[in-house]
Amino acid sequence: MEFVQNFPFFSILLSLFSGPLCSVIGGKAARRVNLAVITVVGAMSAAVLSFTICSGEAYVYLMGHFPAPWGNEIRVGVLEALMALFFCVVMFLSMVGGSLERALEIEAEKENLYYVMVNLLLSSLLALIYTNDLFTAYVFVEINTISACGLIMIRQNGRTIEAATRYMIMSLLGSGLLLLGICFLYDLTGHLLMSNIKEQVQILHGTGDYHIPLLVTVSLMSVGIAIKSALYPFHAWLPDAYGYSTLSSAAILSSLVSKGYIFLLVKIFYRVIGFDIVRDSKIVNILFAFGVVGMIMGSVSAIKEGNIRRMIAYSSVAQIGYIYMGFGIGTTAGVIASLYHILSHAATKSLLFVAASGITDASGDSTSFFDLTGAGYRNKLAGVAFTVGSLSMVGFPMFSGFISKLLFAQAAVDSAYYKMLPALIALALSTILNAVYFMKTVIRIYTPVDREEVQRRGFRKVTFVDQKAKSAALVCFIVLNMALGLCSEPVVRLLREGLSLFA
Amino acid sequence: MDAWILLPVILPVLAGVILLLSLAFEKRKNGREQPDREPDEARLRSLHRYVIAVLAVSGVLALAVSFSGEHSVTLFELLKGIPVYFHVDDISRLFAAAISVVWLAVAFYSFVYMKHEGKEQRFYGFYLIVYGVLMALSFSGNLVTMYLFYEVTTLTSMPLVLHNGSREAIMAALKYLFYSMCGAYLGLFGIFFLYKYCDTLTFTAGGTLNLELAQGNVTILLIAVFGMLVGFGAKAGMLPLHAWLPAAHPVAPSPASAVLSGVIAKAGVLAIIRVVFYVVGPDFLRGTWVQTAWMTLTLLTVFMGSMMAFREPVFKKRLAYSTVSQVSYILFGLSVLSPVGMTGALLHVVFHMVIKCALFLTAGIFIFQCGETRVEQFRGIGKQMPKTFWCYTFASLALIGIPPASGFISKWYLAQGALEAGVGVFGIVGPAVLLVSALLTAGYLLPITTSGFFPGGIVKHGKAEEHGTGAAVDRNEQKDDGKAANLEPPLAMLLPLAVLAALAILLGLFPNPLIGFAGKIAASVM
Amino acid sequence: MNEAILAVVILLPILGGVLVPLLPFKNRTQMMVYTEGLVLLNSALALAMLFHRPEGSFVLFRFTSDLTLSFHVDGMGTVFAAIVSLLWPLCVLYAFEYMEHEKHEKIFFMFYVITFGVTLGIALAEDVVTMYCFYEMLTLVTLPLIMHTLTREAVLASRTYLYYSLGGAAFAFIGVIFILIYGKTPNFTPGGVLDLAAVGDRVNILLLIYVLCFMGFSVKAAMWPFSSWLPQAGVAPTPVTALLHAVAVVKAGAFAVMRVTYFSFGPDFVRGTWAQHVVMALAIFTIVYGCSRAVKETHIKRRLAWSTVSNLSYILFGAAIMTPLGLVGALSHMVAHAVMKICSFLCAGAVICKTGREYVHQLDGFGRKMPKVFAAFTVAGLALMGVPGLCGFVSKWQLVRAAVESRDPLAYIGVAALMISALLTAIYMLTIVVRAFFPRKDFDYDTIRDVKDPGWKMLLPFAIFVIAIVAIGLHSRPLIQGLESIAAQLP
Repeated sequence: MEFVQNFPFFSILLSLFSGPLCSVIGGKAARRVNLAVITVVGAMSAAVLSFTICSGEAYVYLMGHFPAPWGNEIRVGVLEALMALFFCVVMFLSMVGGSLERALEIEAEKENLYYVMVNLLLSSLLALIYTNDLFTAYVFVEINTISACGLIMIRQNGRTIEAATRYMIMSLLGSGLLLLGICFLYDLTGHLLMSNIKEQVQILHGTGDYHIPLLVTVSLMSVGIAIKSALYPFHAWLPDAYGYSTLSSAAILSSLVSKGYIFLLVKIFYRVIGFDIVRDSKIVNILFAFGVVGMIMGSVSAIKEGNIRRMIAYSSVAQIGYIYMGFGIGTTAGVIASLYHILSHAATKSLLFVAASGITDASGDSTSFFDLTGAGYRNKLAGVAFTVGSLSMVGFPMFSGFISKLLFAQAAVDSAYYKMLPALIALALSTILNAVYFMKTVIRIYTPVDREEVQRRGFRKVTFVDQKAKSAALVCFIVLNMALGLCSEPVVRLLREGLSLFA
Repeated sequence: MDAWILLPVILPVLAGVILLLSLAFEKRKNGREQPDREPDEARLRSLHRYVIAVLAVSGVLALAVSFSGEHSVTLFELLKGIPVYFHVDDISRLFAAAISVVWLAVAFYSFVYMKHEGKEQRFYGFYLIVYGVLMALSFSGNLVTMYLFYEVTTLTSMPLVLHNGSREAIMAALKYLFYSMCGAYLGLFGIFFLYKYCDTLTFTAGGTLNLELAQGNVTILLIAVFGMLVGFGAKAGMLPLHAWLPAAHPVAPSPASAVLSGVIAKAGVLAIIRVVFYVVGPDFLRGTWVQTAWMTLTLLTVFMGSMMAFREPVFKKRLAYSTVSQVSYILFGLSVLSPVGMTGALLHVVFHMVIKCALFLTAGIFIFQCGETRVEQFRGIGKQMPKTFWCYTFASLALIGIPPASGFISKWYLAQGALEAGVGVFGIVGPAVLLVSALLTAGYLLPITTSGFFPGGIVKHGKAEEHGTGAAVDRNEQKDDGKAANLEPPLAMLLPLAVLAALAILLGLFPNPLIGFAGKIAASVM
Repeated sequence: MNEAILAVVILLPILGGVLVPLLPFKNRTQMMVYTEGLVLLNSALALAMLFHRPEGSFVLFRFTSDLTLSFHVDGMGTVFAAIVSLLWPLCVLYAFEYMEHEKHEKIFFMFYVITFGVTLGIALAEDVVTMYCFYEMLTLVTLPLIMHTLTREAVLASRTYLYYSLGGAAFAFIGVIFILIYGKTPNFTPGGVLDLAAVGDRVNILLLIYVLCFMGFSVKAAMWPFSSWLPQAGVAPTPVTALLHAVAVVKAGAFAVMRVTYFSFGPDFVRGTWAQHVVMALAIFTIVYGCSRAVKETHIKRRLAWSTVSNLSYILFGAAIMTPLGLVGALSHMVAHAVMKICSFLCAGAVICKTGREYVHQLDGFGRKMPKVFAAFTVAGLALMGVPGLCGFVSKWQLVRAAVESRDPLAYIGVAALMISALLTAIYMLTIVVRAFFPRKDFDYDTIRDVKDPGWKMLLPFAIFVIAIVAIGLHSRPLIQGLESIAAQLP
């Protein structure tokens, strides 16, 4: 056994224990610790990734060398390592990009608590990615929920408290459904370890026993996770949570937290139930329908929105719809497309949140559209970054969104008639709707206003030097986005490879 | 290569363009615009000499081209396989010769008349150009070339209509333009199909339709041909695209109305002759619904035109309706698709050209001398301008078709053609309609003569200058002091009128060469 | 010639254009010399390249192993690239005089020059993905040009343009995907690339996708019901309206339609199916619709824009006939319309720029004051009507020939629509001409004392375009033969 194989376990532990550590040190130190942890975890994930790529197979890691069912297992493959690495990168950039806002919006004495939450969140995400045990997954889902609430609440105003409460209620509902599902499964199979459950489920499926309970279980878990990841129509908590929390929270929540749940769902589909059974259960069709509706309705809500942060938040609803639509297609190609979209959307959405904050900085911290006029000239980098993000969302060639659109469309073409046309048309319509609200914003921020008007309202110019951290983060996001758009092939290959190792 | 046959085309067009360009340059040189500067007499005289010289030379050239044997010239390929091609045949000769004579006569007349309209230079510029274009139209040797010059005729003759620049004139000119264009495009629609289904678009007596190719596509071909008939019929004032005529004539200067009605309307006839007898071939149409529809349309037009003319109080408008009706005589003659009918049609082309020009010239004289446009104002006018009025009367008699004037000959042939052609009920209905229309013609032309010579009271007409152009003044209230003024127009106006009126009678007295010629043409195509 | 030249002619204006606002020009003349020099150089390169066509293709970039940005010149690309390369320098020249009084000139020229490269990219694209990418880019780089004046209407117009264009591209994208999956190759191949064995029983789906793709790409070609952005975009400065909204952008749409029809889906696959009838019916309807709107419109540029709507559908109609002859017709109208519409737009622009008059009823008597401009306008108008001897007749003839030969009853209706449209064209063009040359008799020329012909920078393009209109009209044979040789490659 290579030393590097321990890294996933180390990274979970490291982030888990650095959480309590942060609670006892000062804010500034906590920030350093947090960044360091993310960096180290990222580095370790990279190492694991290269190891798994070289070895070409996934491995099971027994925690403390106790075999299951007594011990706990984690399982590492290309896909898991890639996700972990990517999550670290996005989280790091989001933390860096949002540092200025955090300093302003979080009370100084509570700053270290924020990092506690972030570290816990990271650990839970990593655990969701790596674990091979359904109950462990559930535990970390709850940790995830609680830390996410903390991230929302840390910026103290009425809105965030309301948003956090809503989030909490919806999330707990989702967790409850998930837990019910896990209980049923345990009842049916007598196992909690994923690989064991799968064996039993295959047998059950073969004999045809417990057909209905199995169906109910799958539905419960799917719906539970759908609620947690804000699939339309369970998205009501989302705009406020993303729209009013502090910048790095919004970026992390939108690009990582929901994605962690979705990854868990992939895991359940592939490793717990078996994708064939899921497909036969027609549950995918329901996900498909909700996904398609979400693609459209999310964008429609975004168009109606007059607040740029909430608009971007609503756009997430649409993007989550894309991902579920990909699952719903029910082919490997569809799942690959969804996985790619998880990456692409994570890179784009956090970019958009950071860029939007750059723009609002240059408009007197107002998020309403009218005040954003001409902001692209006052903060050039943020303007460019927002444009890049928007174009990516619209699926413009050269940016990551184009590749996901391409993959989705290709997956759709190879599916059944009754899915192909709705999927393709929803893609096209959704592109148009995305164009409507994102490009409207782009045009708005590049519409110049009078110099006097700018001075009268006290809008200041924001240059690269003023916000070094944010600017650096923006540049990195842009590069990441374009890298995903231009050199997608290795990534897609890894995803494909990883998915084949996954089951 | 007989490139010289293009001389009668190029010479007047160039001369006209020079006139227009010099006008433009002069205006720019003057700097400030002077809308209607009065041109001095000397200048005008030289302008007249220039116009007459050009017209005379090109007229002689045109006659020379026409009567010196077969000529043809290919200029260049407009499209692949479609050259701009000129060829002089009998139809070209007939039209070119007739147009040249009438054009020259009207030019003489206009020298005096146009004084009161102003902007002579512009008028003559276009007048010359249109002449050249009409020559080109007559000499065209294939369908596309003809279409080209047909369009150009429309475009260049439009300024003649809107000459006086009043709102009505401009609207009428646009109406003329768009009706003609509409017709031309209907024609073009057909040309496209004929290009596909004919061996060649070059005019060939008897038609070039490839019946093998046409097999199975007869319906669309018939539709296309019918479209062409209606389309080119627009210029000839055939129903349903006739409405531009009554609008354009009252506002155009009288010389322009004369050529528009007498000559340019015949361009439509020429086009239809070319299409039916030289490309499609009469055999293809005989007995089809197209022939029936065509005959119906022409007869309707004949009757309706006469009726409208009968009701119309404005003299020039009445004449315009009369043109609508008379040109459809020609088209009816063509539509029966028999040699005799076609002979009659060709004869009527020439006769109507002469007669209608004469009539419009008299209308111009009334306007020019008295400023009177409505027929009820003409009471007693014959006493003050007897010569003019006699010319009018002769021309009217010719148009009605009283033997031995010219109209009688052509109508005789038309009726005979219809009876002989074996077109069923139309063989009876056609001549009947022609007869009724002739009666109506008498009804709308002769009362003017009678009331003009026998007003039943003392009516005196003043000169136009005394009461302003076009103003209707009750003549009865004028002071009865002494002799009524002599309103006879100057010789330059009277002479062309007299010549045309004389021609209208003489052609009826000695019709044989013309009948022979027309008969030859008709025999060659059927 | 080396294949790399393909990328050079595309990238040179893009990069050179970006430099326009960055270079430290001392005065306007330097900027003008640089811009014109750049465009001329690139046009010369492009034309030289078209004369010595490189045989192979050039791969600029690989998205994935089978998705590439690659360029290749073939006959159709040559036609479009040649039109673009010939027109661009002239319009830049014209723009110098036009833009004299506008703000943000450098930004304007930057995008104006970049658009050149992007349009060439569409023309020279080797495969459907490359074309799609440049098609999207074209939307983006032309957006600032429409917005240029930054008035409220301009912003609204640019938004409409963007939504329509991106929306169209989104639907066209579906078609692109299908070509990628069901085609033997993404490269444009005369006669289409569909692998009929793979299509199997999905023919109807594929036809539906074809219709979507056709409609998607024809959004840029302003086909009904997606035509209203074009007249709105008329708020842009005239060099933009003339070059982009009469030639580059809108023709890119028509070009893309022809590409997917003749070179991707394949005319044989679609001909005779319901899909052909749908697209042809739409094109026919647009022909009449555009003209009717033009007649109704009194703003001179918008009137011309509606006329463009109608004329572009001539091209689409040609494409929808789906025979080699139809392609000849469509391409010849693409060439002819480019010349005549740009000429008429430049005339309108000269009037607007020099006199500030924008409506038809204000043009009384202009013919005498701006004789050169209105002479050019008249020629262009007559050409648009299809008077024989001018270029419009040539292309119309080819289109109709194709329609008649196709023996499709719907195509016959199309011919009738062309004729109706010609009549309406006569109405909306000649009313302007008549007004300008023959004002009412009591018209007072003092009211338009300020009106006079523009300077040589504007007049030179007019002269060239008028000569081109007449030359193509009188001697169309080489052009048509060239186009026929392109169409002859179709199986």
